[in-house]
Amino acid sequence: MALFYGLLSLARYWTAPVNTQANIDLNPSALPAYALFSVARIAVAYFLSLAVSVIYGYVAANSAKAERLMIPLLDTLQSIPVLCFLPGVMISMVALFPTTQLGVELGSILLIFTGQVWNMAFSVYSSLKSIPREMLEAARLYRLSWWQKLVQLELPHMAIGLIWNSMMSVAGGWFALMVCEMFVLGNRDLRLPGLGSYLQTASNAGATRSIVWGLIAMVAVIILIDQLVWRPIIAWSEKFKFEQVEASESPGSPVLNFLRRSKLLSRIASVSVAPAREALTLYFARGDAVPQAAHHERNLAKWTSWILAALATGGVLYAVGKMGLMLTSLARSDLRDIFWGAGATFLRIELTLVLAALWTIPVGVFIGLRPKLSAIAQPMAQIAASIPAPALFPIVLLLLIRVGGGLGIASIVLLLLGTQWYILFNVIAGASAIPSDLKEVCETFHLSKIQRWRKLILPAIFPYLITGFVTASGGAWNASIIAEYFRFRNQTFSITGLGAVISRATDAGNFPVLLGATIVISAMVVTVNRLIWRRLYTLASTRFKLEFT
Amino acid sequence: MNRTRADELQTILGQGGWDRAVAILQRLDPTVAADTFMSMPYEDQQVLFRRLPIELAAKLAPIFPYYHTFVLLHSLSKDQMIAVVEKMNPIERSMFLDELPEGAWQQITDELSEHQPAASLAGGVSISVQDRAAAPMQPIIEARWIEKAFQRPDGGQIQVIAPTNLSVEPGVIVALLGPSGSGKSTLLRMLSGLTAPSAGEVLWHGKPLSESTPNAAIVFQSFALFPWLTVLENVEVPLLARGVKHAERHRRALRTLHSVGLKGFETAYPKELSGGMRQRVGFARALAVEPEVLFMDEPFSALDVLTAENLRGELMELWLGKKIPTKSIFLVTHNIEEAVLLADRIIVLGRDPAKVRADFRVPFPQPRERNSAEFLLYVDYIYKLMTQPELAAGPPAAADREVKKSYRMLPHARPGSIAGLVELLNDRGGKEDLYRIAEELLMELDDILPIVEAATLLSFVKSEHGDIELTSSGKAFAEADISTRKVQFREAALAHVTLLQQMNSALQSKSDHSMPVELFRDTLDEHFSDDDVQRQIETALNWGRYGDIFAYDSENDRLLMHQPNLADH
Repeated sequence: MALFYGLLSLARYWTAPVNTQANIDLNPSALPAYALFSVARIAVAYFLSLAVSVIYGYVAANSAKAERLMIPLLDTLQSIPVLCFLPGVMISMVALFPTTQLGVELGSILLIFTGQVWNMAFSVYSSLKSIPREMLEAARLYRLSWWQKLVQLELPHMAIGLIWNSMMSVAGGWFALMVCEMFVLGNRDLRLPGLGSYLQTASNAGATRSIVWGLIAMVAVIILIDQLVWRPIIAWSEKFKFEQVEASESPGSPVLNFLRRSKLLSRIASVSVAPAREALTLYFARGDAVPQAAHHERNLAKWTSWILAALATGGVLYAVGKMGLMLTSLARSDLRDIFWGAGATFLRIELTLVLAALWTIPVGVFIGLRPKLSAIAQPMAQIAASIPAPALFPIVLLLLIRVGGGLGIASIVLLLLGTQWYILFNVIAGASAIPSDLKEVCETFHLSKIQRWRKLILPAIFPYLITGFVTASGGAWNASIIAEYFRFRNQTFSITGLGAVISRATDAGNFPVLLGATIVISAMVVTVNRLIWRRLYTLASTRFKLEFT
Repeated sequence: MNRTRADELQTILGQGGWDRAVAILQRLDPTVAADTFMSMPYEDQQVLFRRLPIELAAKLAPIFPYYHTFVLLHSLSKDQMIAVVEKMNPIERSMFLDELPEGAWQQITDELSEHQPAASLAGGVSISVQDRAAAPMQPIIEARWIEKAFQRPDGGQIQVIAPTNLSVEPGVIVALLGPSGSGKSTLLRMLSGLTAPSAGEVLWHGKPLSESTPNAAIVFQSFALFPWLTVLENVEVPLLARGVKHAERHRRALRTLHSVGLKGFETAYPKELSGGMRQRVGFARALAVEPEVLFMDEPFSALDVLTAENLRGELMELWLGKKIPTKSIFLVTHNIEEAVLLADRIIVLGRDPAKVRADFRVPFPQPRERNSAEFLLYVDYIYKLMTQPELAAGPPAAADREVKKSYRMLPHARPGSIAGLVELLNDRGGKEDLYRIAEELLMELDDILPIVEAATLLSFVKSEHGDIELTSSGKAFAEADISTRKVQFREAALAHVTLLQQMNSALQSKSDHSMPVELFRDTLDEHFSDDDVQRQIETALNWGRYGDIFAYDSENDRLLMHQPNLADH
């Protein structure tokens, strides 16, 4: 019933005329409805990303030709901070549906989608590519139809990676949501009812109580989703684990146990899902017949792929041409802004990473070496990390303005908020994975504290640290867009930085600058990834791996 | 001494001049002829032996080692074999028979007496040519000149499997034996239709694969079960693919599971089962579709010895008891005893590129006893066959091979293992049967062969007809202390290993005495596949480091010249 009512009100709301000055009700009693709106947005975007990522990954993994184009594209798209897409997506959507709320709504969903889809698609692709050869051979030899192969081999094989990436994606979705529910585009102030706009409005009004309520609601929603959705799914996905021996300890979930025990559900499944699957599989089964039309089909497929390739190339060329034209209108001062900003942001981000490492390494190692403590600290760090950084920005800003200190410090604090958790829990994981015999060796040789750190702890956590840094660095570039430029109670705070350039261009609707800055930021992210992180990653996975094989 | 004559013969055979070859052999002194004959590739020996006139065959046969004679005789049709034996010089014949192990003696005397009437009726001489191909059955699979080559990125080609003809007849278990990396699995995949050959074609019942749907199943070494499906669901997978309806599918899967002894495990997941049980599921899945040919790719190698033995026994029970409708089993293995235990016909594959070295029947009945004399005879025979250095077979393509020879494949063996083998031989008085050593060390031929090859390459040992013997330098090496050993190893390696010579001279001539390994990798790339290059570099680094020829900086992937004055003092 509640679900039905919710759907109905969502539908009614979407078809309502566009309101540029939505009043966000700061009363806590409005929060459940706002939470529902936000969750619905994320859910729609998530299912969209799921479908697209499975199709994208499937096509890229199954066609060598498509693979050559699709994977580098994915790699690049993955490293463009999601907020760079904001103005483009929003303007096109609002232009498509100028009269209804649907346009803005679709825009925000599309934006969340762009924040979620890439890593999922990559996960699908790499799982499909890593299916053991002999399994594929079994599937071919026994002539499994494409449908049976998908259901019985490919989907199960990609399940675990896809689920973990889904969790990460949804967390990224919250990040995007916080920003895209309320933003200024040129002279239009667009607002969508939701948790993100609630928090922003509250902090603009300086209503501390409302901010606290909003945060509580958000953490509650995140924890609820974790417990009601992700835990059961992870516990259920255990059976897709590709292991030869059964793990002694496996994650459980009371919710899943409840669902499994539910007689009603299993009866529903046995009369609906099972027969449908049977019928579908039998429908697609080729039986003993020799495929006859194969030749004809292949011809057709060849033609379609040619046409698609031609269309795609045409589209890309057109877009590149347009972009080139747009870039020529950049003034010299704009260019200077962009490049100065890029340098400033780069330094700021590296400084943030260093600061984060300075406190998280000792703390993380301290926690990680004590199993009892890490059992408590690990989930807490996870919750802390799951709160999207933009949600906290207004509060930090509020505090800093009260204490004093400009946006220079504030932006670094903001970046820290968005990045440190990844490093922290990777360090905890690394420290707790140090084998006890190696620790005992240090004991027996009476290694001093410094020696112990140099010879054992730092090398042992190195791979984990790098993993943390890679995630943190990506997050930091993304966060820099909102951390360097802030509108607060009708005032604008900003400092030199690429993020500020992007935000300002978004506000002013200055597309050439936005495009130029986006290209520069993507290029920097890709370069930094290639030149620094990927090399360190290789080093970590070869020399510092705690394995002797 | 006979090398040139053997080469000449080889060339003639390469051109298909069988009759000319026979004529040459006839002209030679019998001992020389036998020697020349023996030095040829086994695969050619068999064909040639069948073409020899009875008189010549009878003259040469007693000169060969007894095991060789025994197997060659059995590559003939029964009548022809008897004719040859009867034509032998009586003294030589009794000497040959006396030499045979008991079981083999029993068998051959049985065969002789069994056919006595027929043979005497026919006068023991006139044997029609048709008898040779005694009632050939229509083969299920026929491979015609299939080969496999991979394109290198630089445009060159790497031949993995040389053009090969092969057929699989109904009613037999065929075992394909060969050292690891010899392309056995690739051959299996080409026969089953999983991979297409680069050239040639595979026929099933006389029709090319593109026009037929072969009813085949494979049992994989890694089981290749779907871990997320229960045992029952796993077995149902191929049935579902054929569109078998639910009730029927269920019934057939249960029946198959029952027959492999998995009753009661239907709802278990593969990861809950032991390796042996998992492979039973693998068998059940393969047998569920009632395949005409059951392919098995090293099905027992991932299992422990006892489990493997047990499963082999059960498989034979199903096969011999005709409890499965399967018409033929094609087994790929590197385990010689397994092949002799199970197979009716054994095909031995050579390496680089893969080609058939020998193809013979194992004539004695099932069930076979592992310690029976004839069993051991065959095992011994195959050992000798596989350890005999491969002679270049087929038409010689001189220029091409010359390049290859300078880059002989380095056997993948560690210096420590080589030293171990040499020491063991020294303890045994310097000479031992390879088969015995392998048995004693509980090593499979596949593991010990590279070590022997390496020791031979370094001329620490020499091997002949399955025996290995310590050379004088090998003896010195065995008795030396560690630092002297390193010096000896260095000398031997630099004298015999081209790659190490090149590395050494490159390092000496460079002013900074350092060299990127990538360079050598690139050079090797032109001759070998990626995996082989990887293995060879690894071996070369191991040897070079052991012999103090150079140091290796793994971080920068560079070779550094070893500085003796730094290391020694």
